Amino acid sequence: MEPVLAARGITKRFPGVLALDHVDLEVAGGEIHAVLGQNGAGKTTLMNVLFGLVQPDEGVLYLHGRPVEVRSPHDALARGIGMVHQTRRLVAAHTVLENVVLGHPRVRGVLNLRDARLEVSALCRRYGVALDLGARVWQLSEGERQWVEILKALYRGARVLILDEPTSVLTPPEAAALLAGLRAMVRGEGVTVLLVTHKLPTVMAACDRVTVLRAGRVVARLRTAEATEDLLVRHMVGRDVAPGPPGRSGAPGRRVLEVEDLACLGDRGLAALRGVTFALREGEILGVAGVTGNGQEELAHVLAGLRPATAGRILLDGRDITHLPPRARWTLGVGYIPAERVEVASIGAFSLVDNTALTYHFDPAFVRRGLLDDAGLAALTRRIMDGFDVKAPHPYARARQLSGGNLQKMILGRVLSRAPRVLVAHLPTQGLDVEATAFVRARLRDAAAGGAAVVLISEDLDEILALGDWVAPIYEGRFVARLARAQADAETVGAMMAGLRREEAAAG
Amino acid sequence: MRLGRHEVVLEPRPAPPAGYAVLTAAVAILAALALASALFLSADASPAAAYRAIFSYAFLNPHGLAATVQRSIYLLFCTYAFLVPFRAGLWNIGLPGQVYAGGLAAFAVPLLVWREPTGAPSPALVIGLMVAAAAVAGATTGGIAGILRARFQVNEILVTMMLNSILFWVVAYMVKEGGPFMGATAEGESFTLPAPLRPPLWWGVPFTAVVALGAAALLDLLFARAALGYRIRAFGASPAAARYGGISPAAISLLVFLIGGALAGVAGYHTFAAIPGVHKIPGNYGYYGDLGFYGMISALIARGSALGAIPIAVLFGGLSLGARFAQGALRLPFGVDYALLGLLMMTFIGSHVLHAFRVVWRRRGTAVADAAPTGAPGT
Amino acid sequence: MWELAVRSLEVSAILLLAALGELIGQRSGVLNVGIEGLMLFGGTVAFMVTQATEQFPLGFAAALATGALLGGAHAFFSITLRGDQVVSGMGLWVLSFGLTTFLGSPYAGPLGLGRIGGLAGLPPFFLFGVLLVAAVWFLLFRTGPGLAIRSAGENPAAALAAGIPVAAIRYVCVVTGGVLGALAGAVYTLSYNPVWNYNFIMGWGFVSLALVFFSMWNPWILLAGASLFGLMWQLSLSPELVLPGILSRYVWRTLPFAITIPILVVISTPWFRARWGLAKPEALGQPDT
Repeated sequence: MEPVLAARGITKRFPGVLALDHVDLEVAGGEIHAVLGQNGAGKTTLMNVLFGLVQPDEGVLYLHGRPVEVRSPHDALARGIGMVHQTRRLVAAHTVLENVVLGHPRVRGVLNLRDARLEVSALCRRYGVALDLGARVWQLSEGERQWVEILKALYRGARVLILDEPTSVLTPPEAAALLAGLRAMVRGEGVTVLLVTHKLPTVMAACDRVTVLRAGRVVARLRTAEATEDLLVRHMVGRDVAPGPPGRSGAPGRRVLEVEDLACLGDRGLAALRGVTFALREGEILGVAGVTGNGQEELAHVLAGLRPATAGRILLDGRDITHLPPRARWTLGVGYIPAERVEVASIGAFSLVDNTALTYHFDPAFVRRGLLDDAGLAALTRRIMDGFDVKAPHPYARARQLSGGNLQKMILGRVLSRAPRVLVAHLPTQGLDVEATAFVRARLRDAAAGGAAVVLISEDLDEILALGDWVAPIYEGRFVARLARAQADAETVGAMMAGLRREEAAAG
Repeated sequence: MRLGRHEVVLEPRPAPPAGYAVLTAAVAILAALALASALFLSADASPAAAYRAIFSYAFLNPHGLAATVQRSIYLLFCTYAFLVPFRAGLWNIGLPGQVYAGGLAAFAVPLLVWREPTGAPSPALVIGLMVAAAAVAGATTGGIAGILRARFQVNEILVTMMLNSILFWVVAYMVKEGGPFMGATAEGESFTLPAPLRPPLWWGVPFTAVVALGAAALLDLLFARAALGYRIRAFGASPAAARYGGISPAAISLLVFLIGGALAGVAGYHTFAAIPGVHKIPGNYGYYGDLGFYGMISALIARGSALGAIPIAVLFGGLSLGARFAQGALRLPFGVDYALLGLLMMTFIGSHVLHAFRVVWRRRGTAVADAAPTGAPGT
Repeated sequence: MWELAVRSLEVSAILLLAALGELIGQRSGVLNVGIEGLMLFGGTVAFMVTQATEQFPLGFAAALATGALLGGAHAFFSITLRGDQVVSGMGLWVLSFGLTTFLGSPYAGPLGLGRIGGLAGLPPFFLFGVLLVAAVWFLLFRTGPGLAIRSAGENPAAALAAGIPVAAIRYVCVVTGGVLGALAGAVYTLSYNPVWNYNFIMGWGFVSLALVFFSMWNPWILLAGASLFGLMWQLSLSPELVLPGILSRYVWRTLPFAITIPILVVISTPWFRARWGLAKPEALGQPDT
């Protein structure tokens, strides 16, 4: 049987890096095929080639055995290849229906919404999708938005669906529902699904075959029935995974941070945090685990002073800092590493020295008679660059010339140089490669060992479990529980992130 | 732009080389002058003759040179009035309104305080009060835009433009048709300042020159070295990052408009009260308001450098005066100086593109360029 | 009183046309703060051509061409070069302000060609404006291209992913805005007040911009706002009709501008902002990546 979709010899070079090296891929009709690999293995590039976003330097694509050229997403869609990207490409202010029909060739002239509604409803029934077509996308959950994207591709007539990391922002129950839906679609309607992921459970649970990529090359092609998780990991990483970091020793110190019943509003005026309570001692790391949109960002903001608290208190070493502005908090020893390293934590057009000043311009040690101590700041910047392995031409290079990893190390170094009592780290390793991620995690652990109380807000459950002494799943603005590390395992925490309560999670 | 298998693209420059600012400034100015030649030709005048007339009057003729100096001082204040908010990423196009407010406040002082025959209180004190009043009035006018921006995020462009129109008509009210400031001759202009209240001249130049130059030095020092200047710059570069760093957007927005407005107010004092031979708010006061936009352009071309703006302001001062002169001498249509203003804005934008972008010629499909963008997961 | 009403409608028409053009552009995600420049240049060119040829249609055509050109320049800078849209808009304004002062001065003075006839005494441009409002509303909310335009303004990345040529759409919208802005200026110099004077539009371009924000990007609310402002403007010119004898006429001239400021503040209050924020094209002012 001819594979529905095949790629032979796909090679793609970007300046300085060989992203894909003679990659071959074969996807049979009516199957769910996984493309597995770590960050940077080339999965997204390969998908972009299949979808026409990127042109390969070498290699040919075959559709039903015939060679084709896919020059643009438009081409891809015309040939029945649809893609659901890792980040949402939906217009939040518009309705589900408007999003699904957007850009469809038939929707050229007057918008016949009635007919479109009938067609899309029929599509929903056929593929077993349950969505309110009149709802505005911003009102939907992540899982539902995922389905809107899938519906969009199906409405355009896609028979091959490429899904890029579809479960990365879903709670475990939502992910399970998605995979079940996909399976039904594949078995019932003969749609072919190509699933790009780095998550092993997804692969093992839902996929028929898997192609493993590593550093731009195909290193394995297996049927999942014949594979084990360990085998796949070994292919992905190239060696046996090193054992986890040694457990921490030493008794924690005294209480540093106390948060009582903290509440605040989100950007749209709705409640985002609904009463969070916890306490941290010196040396402890609290891992706040949750799926985006459950109040993590607001929690980070409130702790840092960038968002007003509508209720509750924050105590630092016993002192009420709830209503203090950010500058005062920096001075008192609160350090904040935001998720947006480019727009918020740093200023791309400024030099590294000027970026250091961002959290030092109010510090009497560096400001004399209103003037900044440029020499002192430069020296500090150099120390940070050395201590945190930041690769940059010199301290006066502009921040935007740095790679993501180096920039994050710089930011981390700058925040830690103030020796904060409390460190709030929001998604500190997002988008970083393996090396930088390990570096950042090690430094966070060091900070805790040095006596800081760390609030780690992350979506990466592995990271939380690796670093946290306490694990607090957050759901809809509340901590579902506060578990000691010993009691927190992936399934329980995952279920709590999806809103199941402690008892249900323990039972389920 | 696509050409076969290749494309020509403009990419942002990560770090423009140091001399580029000066280079692009020179290019902008020269290009504008070159384009102005087309205007001269269209009016049946020889560009060479026109330029000779402009420059010789502005810089070689004793009267012209003196006027150029006065004009330059005025433009310098306007430049700084625009420059300070601009460094914070805000547009103070309310210069004309702040100039008018400054002029009105300055002229209000003698009306309230000065007693002609006795000459009391001391003229020096009154002059000082006039300057202070002008600064305060300008600051208040600017401050309205600043507060509305700070507190309500109201677009400062709209507010300042509204204030311009409002103050334009307030001045009209004050100096025309029996308004309180109207001059004795009832010609739609204000009264003339009595002799003792005219600022003393040092080598033909009032003390405002010193104030302007002092402001230049202070502003550059502020932005280069001071913590406050750093905060303004950071806010201008990235308001979100500035908030993160503990900088208050509201405080900065308000502050830069207060400073900018005050400087424009002093510009108003200078141009209406301090220029020898004038010492009144003339009937064509709107012209001076419009001239303020030369200040805006010199701030843009100087890329925010206060000292760097000095030669540019002097040049523009000479150009605007010389253009007026050439207009009369060569019978050109009215508005040569305005046209030059427009052309300079156009060439500035062109030079800005040169400065901020570089032309890259590459094969299509090569999406990502060298300096890896931060934050993007593995491509 | 009738005269007041007619003149008010004329003012409203001018503001409406310019603001409608900007609304279309902003819906596609591009901000143009230089509407004032469009109106100045359109009006000046129209005046010059009409006076030279004594043909109104030629004047209007010249204005449309000018608007397309200027809109195209702003589009090039904002879309292709991904430059700062405020810088480009400001540039457009100052450029037009400067050049039109020079180009128009030989033509300063009355047009001398008689008024453009109306329909039963009503100015035709207001009716045209109303029809245009209906057409724009229909386009934006009931057609596929309209959906594409709104998507380009809300989330250009999503639109691109759906195969919509965001750049092309924005070009069309911005050029349309340019054409309408220039047309508005031409209506001013050829119909409303056919006497050329430098900087004749004295702030109306910025008022139009304020109206677009105030309208929450809805053409019908825009129509209401433009009508109200037109009435207010005419009243400020002839206050004796309503409040005779009080205050100098110069003070009355400040009224329309003075009222705009509190309106802008009201738009920015949290209550208004919640609705406004939802209505604002999310990607307004940002390039498409």
